[in-house]
Amino acid sequence: MKRKSLSILMSGMLLLSVFMTACSSKSDDKQSEETQGTTKTETTQAEQTDTPKAEEPFPITIMLPLNIAETPPDVIKNEVEKLTNTKLTYQFFPADTYEEKLTATFATGSLPQVTYLKNQATFMSMKEAIKDGQFWEIGPLLSEFPNLNKLKPEILNNTKVDGKLYSLYIGRPLARQGIIYRKDWADALGLKAPETTEDLYNMMKAFTEGDPDKNGKNDTIGLADRNDLIYGAFKTVASWFGTPNNWGEKDGQLQPDFMFPQYLESMDYMKKIRDDKLMNQDFLATSKTDQTKLFTSGKAGVYIGSMQDVDSLNKDLIKNVPTAVVDTAALIKGPEGQQSTWSIPGYNNVVLFPKSAVKDEAELKKILAFFDKMMTPEVANVMYWGIEGTHYTVEDGKAKVSDDKEKVEREVKGFKDSVIGEPETNGMYEPLNTLPARIHADSELIPANEKIAIADPTAALDSATFAEKGAQLQEIMTDATYKYMYGQIDQAGFQKAIDDWKSRGGQAMIDEYNASNK
Amino acid sequence: MEQVVEMPEMKPMPRREHALAKRVWRNKWLYIMIAPGFLYFLIFKYFPMFGLIIAFEDYKPYPGKGITGSEWVGLEHFRRLFSEPDFLNILLNTLTLFAMNLIFFFPIPIILSLMLNEVRLSIFKRTFQTLVYLPHFMSWVIIVSISFVMLTMDGGIMNSLLEYFGFDKINFLLSPDWFRPVYIIQVIWREAGWGTIIYLAAIASIDPQLYEAARMDGAGRLRQMWHVTLPSIRSVIVVLLILKIGDVLELGFEHVYLLLNSMNRDVAEIIDTYVYTAGLRQGQFSYSAAIGLFKSVIGLVLVLFANRMAKRMGEEGIY
Amino acid sequence: MVEDRKLGNRMFSAANYLLLTLIALITILPFIHIVAGSFTTNAELAAKKFVLIPTQWSFDAYTFIFSTNTIMRAMAVSVGVTLFGTLFSMLLTSLMAYGLARRDLDGRLFLNLFVVITMLFHGGLIPTFIVVKNLGLINSYASLILPAAISAFNMIILRSFFQNIPDGLEESARIDGCSDFGTLFRIVLPLSMPALATISLFYAVTYWNTYSNAIFYLTDSDKWPIQVLLRQIVVLASGFESDSSLDSTVPPPDQAVKMAVIVVSTLPILIVYPFLQKHFAKGALVGSIKG
Repeated sequence: MKRKSLSILMSGMLLLSVFMTACSSKSDDKQSEETQGTTKTETTQAEQTDTPKAEEPFPITIMLPLNIAETPPDVIKNEVEKLTNTKLTYQFFPADTYEEKLTATFATGSLPQVTYLKNQATFMSMKEAIKDGQFWEIGPLLSEFPNLNKLKPEILNNTKVDGKLYSLYIGRPLARQGIIYRKDWADALGLKAPETTEDLYNMMKAFTEGDPDKNGKNDTIGLADRNDLIYGAFKTVASWFGTPNNWGEKDGQLQPDFMFPQYLESMDYMKKIRDDKLMNQDFLATSKTDQTKLFTSGKAGVYIGSMQDVDSLNKDLIKNVPTAVVDTAALIKGPEGQQSTWSIPGYNNVVLFPKSAVKDEAELKKILAFFDKMMTPEVANVMYWGIEGTHYTVEDGKAKVSDDKEKVEREVKGFKDSVIGEPETNGMYEPLNTLPARIHADSELIPANEKIAIADPTAALDSATFAEKGAQLQEIMTDATYKYMYGQIDQAGFQKAIDDWKSRGGQAMIDEYNASNK
Repeated sequence: MEQVVEMPEMKPMPRREHALAKRVWRNKWLYIMIAPGFLYFLIFKYFPMFGLIIAFEDYKPYPGKGITGSEWVGLEHFRRLFSEPDFLNILLNTLTLFAMNLIFFFPIPIILSLMLNEVRLSIFKRTFQTLVYLPHFMSWVIIVSISFVMLTMDGGIMNSLLEYFGFDKINFLLSPDWFRPVYIIQVIWREAGWGTIIYLAAIASIDPQLYEAARMDGAGRLRQMWHVTLPSIRSVIVVLLILKIGDVLELGFEHVYLLLNSMNRDVAEIIDTYVYTAGLRQGQFSYSAAIGLFKSVIGLVLVLFANRMAKRMGEEGIY
Repeated sequence: MVEDRKLGNRMFSAANYLLLTLIALITILPFIHIVAGSFTTNAELAAKKFVLIPTQWSFDAYTFIFSTNTIMRAMAVSVGVTLFGTLFSMLLTSLMAYGLARRDLDGRLFLNLFVVITMLFHGGLIPTFIVVKNLGLINSYASLILPAAISAFNMIILRSFFQNIPDGLEESARIDGCSDFGTLFRIVLPLSMPALATISLFYAVTYWNTYSNAIFYLTDSDKWPIQVLLRQIVVLASGFESDSSLDSTVPPPDQAVKMAVIVVSTLPILIVYPFLQKHFAKGALVGSIKG
């Protein structure tokens, strides 16, 4: 008898689902259209008139993370379409949930023709799918495109999977990290720019105890740091001490950085700074915003991180402390007098071309042709700097951003992080810097940094254990590093953490990396 | 419909079947009322549940593999979870936070709404209600960043106060002892006011004659509260309690994750944060799904238990 | 005796008011900080820990967020989704809750369990995405409403409110010749105004807070509801993402802008409450009818 009530339900359901599919089929078409890229009704007048070629604008759909508050309007997009004879559909998604979005879209086979990832970590997690043949290999085609062919081979190498190239990269300077410090404080206390780790320590000490702001109060500290071992102070300091970049060679074998004595030295150094109260005590519970605040409110005098942050730090600092002067420093010598610093693999993100959306090689070539054009100064400048005269002007062969910062932020910045290559390869303008500290960093320190940079030897190597539980293993050592710096564990405790790391899969990782290194 | 009743296979127990069919027919409109909801749950909740099988696979989220094409690994992921050295600790942390939620948070909206019910000044009552709902609309990112500013050792307001009154500074943000109190206080701050809504609605539905009668008997306000208000909202309290227990392991991933750091991980790592580092961040979908399934089973057991207890106490329960 | 009790009542009242005022203050302080912060300069926010009354007044943050129509458009989307969603959900939820509240319904246990199970077991993001995609809902506003149409939690609460309505009332309605629909709409719903107001508020807030469905199911950013913009700004400005090496060349948004967006996106949903508030008093009806 159950059957009866069921049959009523079933017929009701059927009715409803018919109704549902009835209204869905229409929007379904729309969706598939959209993934193909032939979308949207905005018919710009410009397009009609400015397409000299008989060829129709080629439709491309692009998915990328959104790093600013709002999706940009079409100003830049329309200009790029004109220059490249394409019909572009940009699908922006919030950066902080981009990985989830990427996975869900991928799993349902709905990635668009051009798929930007979020950063190196997302690229690592995609490697397995890449090996599985889900994306087009572009290596052999690159030589057909004169501009794409200019991309730096060593960085392309870093992005290869099993020796094959699948992606284009968004370039970043190799080694931007260094010190941003209060030059006015240093001058007032008679200090020179730090050259060794000892100088740096003394500077922090003087900034803390020497009343550098001359207000008679003991209200300043040396260093402002945050809850980030990599992009905060620690990794940079450690590399000055000669710690390898993630992995290094010892006794002819690759080993992780924390098994090197320099790593311990660096932890001792940071521990001393904290114990002597020369930095914010709660740095492990300090967000980047709060760290920045410590510096810009005039409380802290040293910031270790990307030297290119100096512009935004200075901007807020002089609002609070009009007399403040900042400078940058790098090339810090370690205890043995050696110089070294760590470097990133030269890119911060890559673009992939899913086979589910790009049907054949002909289509792939058309898309690559778009990126080839993107690597001309003409297009790259539009995407990075905007429209000349509106968003920027050229002075001394460099781009000077317009005073209407809001307009620039709204209309241009959303596209900035999607430009392939770097100024040396795509010919776009370098920024016109006005702040002496930034000029110091860009023209002297960063190029010099690159000469002494140590690369991560595992960048192009493979480890199955890393792919499976790298993040979890890393956490063991991150915890141990903080605990050591906070004085909760000693060397023996740290060694115990290393043993724990090894037994939970670390040893396998060492073996796998060494095997793939041969 | 009537004809179905006459079908031959229905014969063996004609009486009962007949009665049932009659009842069902009589209540046909009720079934029609339920149908859209039933369909909703079927389509948007039960269809996706076929995805649970990835907990037994080595799931690869791409075309060609997917849910149906990935390799079957059986209980492998559960084995990994149970052999995790920190597994017991993480489970214990999760249950502790859950218990604290139940003990320290759950009664507060009830008490608050009882207090509010005693307020006769309608303007005060309305203003108060509107104000205490405010925090519910603030995301954890904002709440946690505000409390960082208040609790930090580096000039935070709380520690400045402690120092001013001659106490030692307390490392609220990093000390393992303070993680749980900070967590629960933030939960109370954000949700207590919001939680009163249901109880206030239940109190509003109480028959005023009951109070009248109690006053006749000479009951003061506290006794009216105890003998009239509380019993009247008892069933709502029980239902909410069971639902809360079913949510046993939903402790607010984002909230805990923002408070979690290297120093308090021993007490602050819960199942959700573990899933995030070990599973999702690594693209280990199957492992994450297996842990999710494990959580669901715990929830199920607790709900079955709680509901049975409720029924024994003469309550309706949730099913 | 009587005097004693009066005094006791008064003292109880006084303590009660005092305590509630204190609670309200604690609750609202951080929010005052946010409102004040949205009206001040970034420099003041950087210099001070906590702003309660701005010393440097500035409307820049508001000028900035209203200088394009993005926020307004997102607000309009959210208002629309909240309005239609709440109505739709309330209809489905009331119908189902009433059906399941009736104790004489065969298969009630099965149907109730059917609902409860969905609170405990979740298929996960990807399978749900597939269902939504196959229904052709991708990039439609319906994808923000249909997948969230009924909350099992709300349905169960409403059901238990319905169950608390004395059976006699419904009985007499049926004897008077009301159909089940008639009983629901003429007797049960009017008697349940406090519960309906509560559940509507819950739905309204859920729809107002729509975030995940929007980022997963919408491909066109013009359709984003307000929460997507809010979260985007808050996360970028709070700097919690720093460890993910989101190595952008773009500095984060201003703190004042973050606070202004919080204020703007919270106000509309706050306004809903006073409107519903008057319905919370109507529950007293139960008694009068029964009497």
